[in-house]
Amino acid sequence: MLTKTVVVLSIIVMAAIFLTACGAAPEPVTVVETVVVETEKEVRVVETVEVEKEVVKEVEVEKIVEVTAVPGEGAKPILIGFTSDASGQYANSGAMDRRGMMMAIEEFNAKGGVLGRPIEWVHMDTETTPATGTRIAERMINQDGVSFLVGAVHSGVANAISQVAQNHGVIYLNTNSSSPTESGENCHRVKFVFDGHGGNFAKATTLNAIETYGDNWLLLTNDYVWGHETSASTRALAEASGVSIVDELLVPQGTRDFSAYLLNIQQIAPDVVAAAVGGDDQKALRIQVVEAGLGQSPAWINNQQDWPDVYGQAPFGVFGTTWYYKLDLPGVDEFVQRYQEMYPDSNIKVPGNVFYNGYMATKALLTAIERAGTTNNHAVIQELEQFTWTAEERMQDHDAWIDPDTHQVQQTVYLGAENPEPTEEYDIFKILSAASPEDVMDKSADCVLESFEDTPVYEP
Amino acid sequence: MKLLRMVGTDFGKMLFVLLFFASLPFWINHVGFYQYIGVEILIWCTYAMAFNLALGYTGLPSFGHGAFLGVGAYAMAIYQLNFAGQSLWLGLSFALLFGAMAGGLVALFLSHRRGIYFALMTVAFGQVFWFIAIKWRSLTKGEDGLLNLQRLPAQFGLISFNLDENFSYYFFTLAVFAFTLIMLWILIHSPFGHIIQALKQNEMRTRFIGYDVRVFKWISFTISAGISGLAGGMFALAQQSAFPDVMNLQWSGIIVMMVIIGGGLVSFWGPIVGTIFYFVARDLLGAYTETWMLWFGLTFMLIILFQPEGLVGIWRKVGAGLNRKYFQAASIPSQDVSLPDSSLQQIK
Amino acid sequence: MLYLIPHLINGIGLGLLFALIALGFTLIVGVMELINLAHGSLFALGAYFALVVLGVFQPLQEITSPLFSYGVALVLAPLGVAVVGMGLEVGMRRTYGKDPLYGLLFTFGAALVIEEAIRVIWGSVEYSLDVPDLISGSILLGNLIYSKYRIFASFFSIILIVLVWYLIERTKMGAIIKAGAHDSEMVRALGINITRLRLFVFAFGTALAAIAGVIMAPIWGIRPHVGVDAVIPAFLIVVLGGVGSFWGSVMAGLMVGLTAGLTGAYASDWSIVSIYILLIVVITFRRRGLFGKASKLDI
Repeated sequence: MLTKTVVVLSIIVMAAIFLTACGAAPEPVTVVETVVVETEKEVRVVETVEVEKEVVKEVEVEKIVEVTAVPGEGAKPILIGFTSDASGQYANSGAMDRRGMMMAIEEFNAKGGVLGRPIEWVHMDTETTPATGTRIAERMINQDGVSFLVGAVHSGVANAISQVAQNHGVIYLNTNSSSPTESGENCHRVKFVFDGHGGNFAKATTLNAIETYGDNWLLLTNDYVWGHETSASTRALAEASGVSIVDELLVPQGTRDFSAYLLNIQQIAPDVVAAAVGGDDQKALRIQVVEAGLGQSPAWINNQQDWPDVYGQAPFGVFGTTWYYKLDLPGVDEFVQRYQEMYPDSNIKVPGNVFYNGYMATKALLTAIERAGTTNNHAVIQELEQFTWTAEERMQDHDAWIDPDTHQVQQTVYLGAENPEPTEEYDIFKILSAASPEDVMDKSADCVLESFEDTPVYEP
Repeated sequence: MKLLRMVGTDFGKMLFVLLFFASLPFWINHVGFYQYIGVEILIWCTYAMAFNLALGYTGLPSFGHGAFLGVGAYAMAIYQLNFAGQSLWLGLSFALLFGAMAGGLVALFLSHRRGIYFALMTVAFGQVFWFIAIKWRSLTKGEDGLLNLQRLPAQFGLISFNLDENFSYYFFTLAVFAFTLIMLWILIHSPFGHIIQALKQNEMRTRFIGYDVRVFKWISFTISAGISGLAGGMFALAQQSAFPDVMNLQWSGIIVMMVIIGGGLVSFWGPIVGTIFYFVARDLLGAYTETWMLWFGLTFMLIILFQPEGLVGIWRKVGAGLNRKYFQAASIPSQDVSLPDSSLQQIK
Repeated sequence: MLYLIPHLINGIGLGLLFALIALGFTLIVGVMELINLAHGSLFALGAYFALVVLGVFQPLQEITSPLFSYGVALVLAPLGVAVVGMGLEVGMRRTYGKDPLYGLLFTFGAALVIEEAIRVIWGSVEYSLDVPDLISGSILLGNLIYSKYRIFASFFSIILIVLVWYLIERTKMGAIIKAGAHDSEMVRALGINITRLRLFVFAFGTALAAIAGVIMAPIWGIRPHVGVDAVIPAFLIVVLGGVGSFWGSVMAGLMVGLTAGLTGAYASDWSIVSIYILLIVVITFRRRGLFGKASKLDI
């Protein structure tokens, strides 16, 4: 009896380890071993002793560039920690986020890395849970020794991670969390936000809808922070333009049945329904609206549609996005092709905004490190705060930049709707217009970045 | 006299556990882990011990206990942020107090039930608490969480310890855990503890003897919730934030699994074993695969089927088997009597 | 008052859907006195199996109509899930005779394992189930648009509920099942293989879960986590209606649907939590739910 139990359990444990080692892991994980390169440190020490105090910094930087410009053995790798969800509500988006990051890394490694150092990455599942986010961040910084942290979809998880990151001075890129508070009251000196937030998208869709549709609007608000902040933006903008908000219906998180709401909407009969509904609730809403044939009248304006959430489905209403794979802009087709070559087995055949944000963020980080000539976090932060892109670099219609006050990327916001004439199976968006970053800017006055003095120095 | 004799063996175990944890920060980095996980393990051990008071000792299956952990965390956070609280002790006291109040409220509705009805009602209450945490945004900031908590210094009269570093905070957590452990041990071995265990085995008989089982169940649940709240307060300081997620159904289910796999149904130490097992397995397997929950769930299922006494039960059997093999003559009958099918024997 | 009626109708329709979801769960609880928390994951599995079946029929679209393939999916997917259910029942046999908590915990673990397995096999992507045109689209009833599919689903639910009731109450098989639950020793003494009976009942119950999964898939969508949205209401409905009472759980399903539907209309932010409050209120005043009978699961 006892031996049977022990044997069975041991088999299970061994099978688990065997299977996980062999095939269960969808993506390879590299865990870096710390390679201490004594030479660099020695050089640095020598230099600071010999040179006057004022010029120390510049000389230091130059010297480091010289030493590490020679690529090759012994160059300590730059380790990037991916803090994205692999389970829970945002598992799909997390996977696409990571793919974008990995493609950017591969691009740089093909050129010899950054500052002569190869780039490696490590990933752990943040489980769409903030407590896990804290633990993962602590582990990655203290045990794995990551240089930078990248990745987020859920705002609570992003908050948890960015707190840990700020405590240690580790730069953290929030790739895909679109809560307005990310670059508002929860902003941090080490955190940079690469997605548009609910307010940006609300502005884009609202401005368009004001011109196109009638004046009686109804707000459908997911009853949590993101929903309320987004609807508040919509309300402020709409009412300033003379629209009257006839009602606001709250949708508790976890709602799967929208029949009562749809009946109410029909009875109230507004011209426009502005929906700030996200996550799985959004998916159920979409299915039921389309099924009931209510997608055209009233006019629906949704907030941002994440590509992994809507892929393979039919979108409805007018919504926002930061990028689309069929944009008629230079570089887009090659980008899509590179994705398809790198990930032929993915069940999402063409990339969307989540992948795009992950890629752009990682690429910006690595570029900033190159420009700063060092991985010293203060220097890299300063580079990122002045970062700009041309429209072509962004594969968007307008130039983009990072706002130094809130650390959020200001970028083009596209308006989309269901494509009545798709050219291929996944061509489900029809891009209606492109709003410039200035037009959709929604800057929060709540953001107070920590000073550089309060941000610990971290130089991986 | 009987108490002292028991202390003889349990004292050794308690000493071992505390020494193990006390030494942890010094060797944890060398075995491939990190300080923070030690902190998390201790806090969840505290929570698991509290939970087991309800499940293992009183037989109350609570699938909504995360609510109390969450209430404690929010109490600490709100005390610090909204009331500019500066006292660590006061914050923790609030965490414990509010956890107990929440538990007391829930237990009012449930103390006369048990089994399946009890379980479902705890689910319902857990969901209500989670709903409140998400909806009452002005107080809890919803899913964004209450952030930027400071780890208030631990002040003992004139001496004050800074807890900002995980290393020092770990020892504070250990102190709280040790205190809770000893208190719970005393409680379990007191007359109260015997009554609730009797209650778990056969509620009707206990009632016939003359005890008001409802009151005892209420007290047990409230204490359990209070200590869970205390653990929550510690958790809020560890993360330096408070989020509603620990209140949700998934996390309330995980604590049940942790405690049972460890052997909480038969052993005082079961929850500790189960918690360590969960965190170690998650950290190790989680680095290699994203489907580790599949294996954990399977392990849980097998434990339920073949070893409801959990890891501690296996340990005991191995120990008894070895004992028999090496230290006793063949003629002495075997020590490991298989457990009866129905309720498990008195917890040691 | 005029506005109330559509919401009442909608609430009843929703209630029927909830009753359908709870049907398999009710059967297993009532007959085997076993809480099957894997009900939700099996519900989800049913939807995924239906996807597989429809995928198989995809190349045959020319010959067969979508209605036919949908009907086949509605039959095959539950059969597939019944097989899984039987496996589960075999595994669970060791927990019989013990505290019912063990059965609950075992199925709780099974629920997690099945959900993870779904994630491993099919990924976390959202899938949609194609619905034949006959029952798709919208219909105008008294100035308001309703989804045709929901009406179909509600009627299907009624039919299935009546069928199951008939099976249990009016057939010899049903009598044996009830007897097996009531007095298994006697049934065994009469020469009926109680083990095989339990296996059949469990398989039947899980098949009902799968049917509900297929029916609800075009309304809720198909994701690995969708099972949780089914098992919580099912558990709630069964306890609310009273363990052991078939019509109790049907009534409870309707009550839950009306509560959700009406609060969704008038106090929408409370629509989900209202169900839990309903449970708490009812159970506080009626110990065993609406029509519950004394059972092993009691107190």
